[in-house]
Amino acid sequence: MKAANFEHHEPTSVSKAVSLLESLEEPTILSGGQSLVPMLRFRLARPDTVVDINGIDELDYLHEEGGYLKIGALARHADVEDSELIEERYGSFADTVPLVADPQIRNRGTIVGSVAQADPKGDWGSVLIAHDGEVVATGPDGERTVPIDELFLLPYDTSLDEDELITEARVPIPVEREGSAYHKLKRKTGDYAMAGVAARLIFDDDGRIEDAGIGMTAVDITNVRASDAEERLGGERPDPELFAEAGELAAEQSNPESDEHGDASYKERMVEVLTQRALGDAAERAGVIKRRVSP
Amino acid sequence: MTNTREITLTVNGTERSTEVEPRRLLVHAIREDLDLTGTHIGCDTGNCGACTVLVDGEPIKSCLMFAAQADGSEVMTVEGMEDLPESDGLHPLQEGFHEEHGLQCGYCTPGMLMAGKALLDENPDPDEAEIREAISGNLCRCTGYQNIVKSIEYAADKLAAQPAADGGTVAIDGDAGPAAAGSAADGPEPFEGYEVDGEFTCGAENCCGGPATDAEHTGGDNV
Repeated sequence: MKAANFEHHEPTSVSKAVSLLESLEEPTILSGGQSLVPMLRFRLARPDTVVDINGIDELDYLHEEGGYLKIGALARHADVEDSELIEERYGSFADTVPLVADPQIRNRGTIVGSVAQADPKGDWGSVLIAHDGEVVATGPDGERTVPIDELFLLPYDTSLDEDELITEARVPIPVEREGSAYHKLKRKTGDYAMAGVAARLIFDDDGRIEDAGIGMTAVDITNVRASDAEERLGGERPDPELFAEAGELAAEQSNPESDEHGDASYKERMVEVLTQRALGDAAERAGVIKRRVSP
Repeated sequence: MTNTREITLTVNGTERSTEVEPRRLLVHAIREDLDLTGTHIGCDTGNCGACTVLVDGEPIKSCLMFAAQADGSEVMTVEGMEDLPESDGLHPLQEGFHEEHGLQCGYCTPGMLMAGKALLDENPDPDEAEIREAISGNLCRCTGYQNIVKSIEYAADKLAAQPAADGGTVAIDGDAGPAAAGSAADGPEPFEGYEVDGEFTCGAENCCGGPATDAEHTGGDNV
């Protein structure tokens, strides 16, 4: 099916985009379009106007600055894939990117677009949760930052105002003795997650867990934080039993639905296993354990 | 609401202009407006990769991009392959698909060729895992992946043996218009002694329905 007709706007600066968003009635923002274009074609979305931000060169960046890894709204999945910085220091990002769809989609799709889409099966939301990330929303009154925990409301629904645009997603630059990872269960190469878990661990000088972040994919109505598991990990030394307990707590806090790919109890069990694996990799990458302590 | 605009694309080295509505997909502009029907439409939802073309050198799914978004870009379709400097009639990739029986029914072939081309441009000596990764966005409804992988390996070997070509830029003077849409573009020629009459069916129920049928194929390497 063809998309319903729409007016196509192509602003070349953030300020022009914002004034368009302000003046138009219910515009839809098009960035990578790898989820939006099929939605338009199935007429799940039927906007009168589309604001295509692909021409806003100032949003095309991926770099560390001011204590953050900053991901501009036009950074494609492929940019993360090609980045040496990511490969060296951001384990969870490096794990996630090859699991996102396929090479063609990664060439067009954007991380920020995926987050803005607020699909509970999107991988990046969990990664941002694990890293205590935030997004920068730009609107008529300027920029504001929204902690990732306050962004997702419902599937495909965020707390952004209609005239706001996510211009950046960011996470704090990893400190010493920090490691992160992402594990995902999927039916086939390139598929959406049946369940996914991102984990990030920071250890103190004594080798105890100072801070833990765990985000979960596809097991609730939005990407969610496994806060009970995070809390359990605080102050402890890494060991397989501890990670198993954290896995159980994450599974308890998840809320998956039974569907044709598996029933809820199976997915909960998968959350448990994926959490242990992600924590094991994160601890290993933080340099505090030599071998994986996960199954 | 009728709002069209003129876009200009450099397709296979030749500048082409056409009027499009904003909702017109790049794949439809390529096939219907520019009459380059080598680029196929399979699943229509971004899953199958039959519509893969190169935009500014990068493989993308042309059913997931509006034509207006490609305004000013260089687009390479399967029809452009024969004009590449490393081609001698057929491009080594096309030759590989012929030699190694990567064609099968031929429907996915244009997308596979473009995905393979993008891979070899970046990595002239890929291993099998890298080839499989590069074509992971392209479904073959004959499930003939093994021969497709071999075909791309064939091309990599052949290209490595060739005297240094220029890495595969499109020959500017090539005639890449509709008339140049060669045999590989419109589907494979029947092999000698092999008659194609009537509609091709592979026998599998709903085989062209794309990923919906994948529910049964749970792989062992999922976790």
